Amino acid sequence: MRNIITILIFSVSLTISSQTNYHEGMQQAFGLWGQQKNTEAVHMFERIANAEQTNWVPYYYAAQVEVTSSFGEKDVTVLDANLKKGQLYLDKAMTISKDNPELLVLQALLYTAWVAYDGATYGRKYSKKINKLYEKAEKIAPENPRAAYCHAEWNIGAAKFFGNDIQPFVKDLEKSLDLFATFELPSPFYPNWGEERAKVLLESYKS
Amino acid sequence: MKRFIVISCLLMLSISGSSQTNIDGFVLNQNKEPIIGANVYLKGTYSGGMTDDTGHFEFATQSKGKQTLVVSYVSFETKELVLDVSKMLSLEVKLKEDVNSLDAVVIAAGTFSSGDNSKVATLKPLDVVTTASALGDPIAAFQTMPGTSTVAEDGRLFVRGGEADETQIFIDGIRVFTPYLATANNTPTRGRYSPFLFEGMTFSTGGYSAEYGQALSGVLLLNTINEPEQEKTDVGIMSVGATVGNTQIWNKKSLSVNVSYLNLAPYNSIFYDRNEWIKPYEALSGETVYRHVFKNGLLKLYTAFDASRLEVVQEDINFSEGLRYGLQNDNFYFNGSYKGILTENWSIMTGLSYTYADTKVDYQLSDITDKENSLHAKVKFKRFFSNRFQFSLGAEYFTTNFEEDFLDENIPSYIVGFQKNIVASYAEFDLFFSKNLALKAGLRGEYSDLEKRASLSPRASLAYKVSKFGQVSFAYGDFLQAASNTYLKFNNKLSSAQTQHYIFNYQFNKNGRILRAELYAKNYDDLIKYDTELPYHGSYYSTEGYGFANGLDVFWRDNTTIKNTDYWLSYSYLDSKRDFKNYENEAQPNFVNTHNFSVVVKHWIEDWKSQIGLSYTYASGRTYTDPNKTGFLNQKTTPYGSLSMNWAYLLTQQKILYLSVNNVLGRQNINGYQYANTPNGPGVFESRPLLPAADSFFFVGFFWTISEKGTDNQLDNL
Repeated sequence: MRNIITILIFSVSLTISSQTNYHEGMQQAFGLWGQQKNTEAVHMFERIANAEQTNWVPYYYAAQVEVTSSFGEKDVTVLDANLKKGQLYLDKAMTISKDNPELLVLQALLYTAWVAYDGATYGRKYSKKINKLYEKAEKIAPENPRAAYCHAEWNIGAAKFFGNDIQPFVKDLEKSLDLFATFELPSPFYPNWGEERAKVLLESYKS
Repeated sequence: MKRFIVISCLLMLSISGSSQTNIDGFVLNQNKEPIIGANVYLKGTYSGGMTDDTGHFEFATQSKGKQTLVVSYVSFETKELVLDVSKMLSLEVKLKEDVNSLDAVVIAAGTFSSGDNSKVATLKPLDVVTTASALGDPIAAFQTMPGTSTVAEDGRLFVRGGEADETQIFIDGIRVFTPYLATANNTPTRGRYSPFLFEGMTFSTGGYSAEYGQALSGVLLLNTINEPEQEKTDVGIMSVGATVGNTQIWNKKSLSVNVSYLNLAPYNSIFYDRNEWIKPYEALSGETVYRHVFKNGLLKLYTAFDASRLEVVQEDINFSEGLRYGLQNDNFYFNGSYKGILTENWSIMTGLSYTYADTKVDYQLSDITDKENSLHAKVKFKRFFSNRFQFSLGAEYFTTNFEEDFLDENIPSYIVGFQKNIVASYAEFDLFFSKNLALKAGLRGEYSDLEKRASLSPRASLAYKVSKFGQVSFAYGDFLQAASNTYLKFNNKLSSAQTQHYIFNYQFNKNGRILRAELYAKNYDDLIKYDTELPYHGSYYSTEGYGFANGLDVFWRDNTTIKNTDYWLSYSYLDSKRDFKNYENEAQPNFVNTHNFSVVVKHWIEDWKSQIGLSYTYASGRTYTDPNKTGFLNQKTTPYGSLSMNWAYLLTQQKILYLSVNNVLGRQNINGYQYANTPNGPGVFESRPLLPAADSFFFVGFFWTISEKGTDNQLDNL
């Protein structure tokens, strides 16, 4: 009996210590990202992901750093390298967690980075794929605010490009804010971005 | 209870208080230069560091014993070292460049490609359909690429001094035997297949892989779409007909069906035409593509059928009332292919195509019926050893059964035909010595049962990167091709023609600007010769013909310098002579232009929601024989010039209005001259110029895509 309890306590203390490690590691990585040390942050996320074999979250962030930094990048070789790296992490995350709405949204954003770089060339190549990804994410998780918000922003961009009415999509954007208000994080470090930007965007279309 | 707490505290302490071990070293590339910013860490732990300006890294870990050190850096292959932690001191880790990265050298000699099925992307599928002069025909779009000649009355691809049938077309790696629509004499043809079925197109003007045989001059590889993205219905109403398409998607399967009807009667009644039409061109065609995604592979079944009819009276110098020409053509094509992964390192591609073509020509008093049954079966295996070395091998079988039935009231009738079987196999490897040097080499063996002869054709190409954006490549290859149906039907004993290609290529590629310059030399041997004006039943045939083609092709494309504008320039210089067919001596054939120049410009005007396209082609004159002067092919026509324009206007995201005019300036291009068979009174052979049926061509179309989401359009189809 005693032995069992000893083992129990031992294993509990181990998980606590590993969770603390995870917590600290993630904090450290976010810290690096906050200091714009993107490479270091990605490296840290990659290491954590490598240690936490069944957790898609660190890979998600490794990919997100690459994707986010790609918007506005003018040098196509840098852009290509970043997005290829991002895709690599995203692929790894997707093998851990299939049909994950957050990963689908990030995949759509990765393609959007190409469209933002050269709309004429990559718009035609990726726009259908991007739409399909958002549709899938919204179908799987109708409550996910990022899927709703990113899809609305994408549709607004496309409608503007073709000179169509943006109002239906502005309504979608508004709805996404309700989702943000009620969305509960399923786990610590679960993606939790977008609300601020969605608000700013909505303001700009309302005024 | 106390004891438990003590134990657990001790355990906690033992974990957090364990002593640290330092790890350090350098990360270098193969030239012993430092790699800055590499990620170095112990697998399964959070301990790690990043290399500094000197390639140095150091970090501490609590891990003990044997551990795996991982070193990773973008565009280099990740390296893992298994060592005792205590020995991980002053390490020197060398990383190999990943030859799969974007800036690696590519084997590019001879190849032009569209889509991203290749790194040598110079033309995307959309480009094909927005090229002003192409009118939605991929073949016509590739005629704006260097290495092609302008033979306006023919419409097929003439590559580097080769005849049109020297360029073969493949769909998903499987041969198309009758790729062109049947037309009247002196009327340009089009490709049979609509461009929006394909997602990638690669055009090679020489030096291609050992995978492709029975093609002396060029190959055009078309790959059908793997996965349609949306269920939709496409409707098109055009000045020359109508088209309807529908795509359905189920979980792992999809089906696309497309039907078109073309009728030139209304067009011919409005616009002037030099021919006298009894039955204007009319065609009905349909295609379906069925795709099934399996766990480890993809099956595609493509079926196409088309029927065309026409009857026309064409001007002729020898017949004052003109020559009557009637045509009925039925063509069926099936292509099934499977691509899949067998094991971690082996992949397979296999497929089969079957063609049935039935052509009935009613020419003056003659009735000529041609029936062709052709089959191509192919299997190809690829073994992946590493990013640096891949090996493939394959086997294929071609068979053609051809029969011609000739009936005439005045001359003896005949039935001729042949059965031709060819088996072939090949092996080829891709080897990257480094990111800067790559070699592709292969060997192809063929056996033809008509000729009872086996042959071996080596192919090789070597590419070397000379600067950050520039590279040179060399290619060599032996190619052979059986005599065409036109001759084999009269003489089954004719052996294959052969050629060697020598190619030197320079390519510069930087941020959306591409410059390619290619020098080549080709020798032809065993070309067909015959002793009559045209190849007839009973003519004397031999394969004693020969020839050469040397030239320079230059291509420049830029889609970055001018906003919303993409343009390309092509120039080809070609010096080619042959002694073949019924030639009296070695001469420049009439399908050769010494100089060919094309400009294609596409500009998107956002405020007008329009894409405007312009394309201009100039080609120097082609040879013809004037019997009033001495010599063979002794004259040249005036140069050819044509400016085409198109305009695509997006009414809404799903409705497009499309307008296109070929040869806007209405320039009268003379393709050659026809001379009278007998001289007139004063002993002069009279002549007439060979002119196109109409100088200009107009096209208006309205295209509407109906899809659930309302975001798709047919812009890609135009």
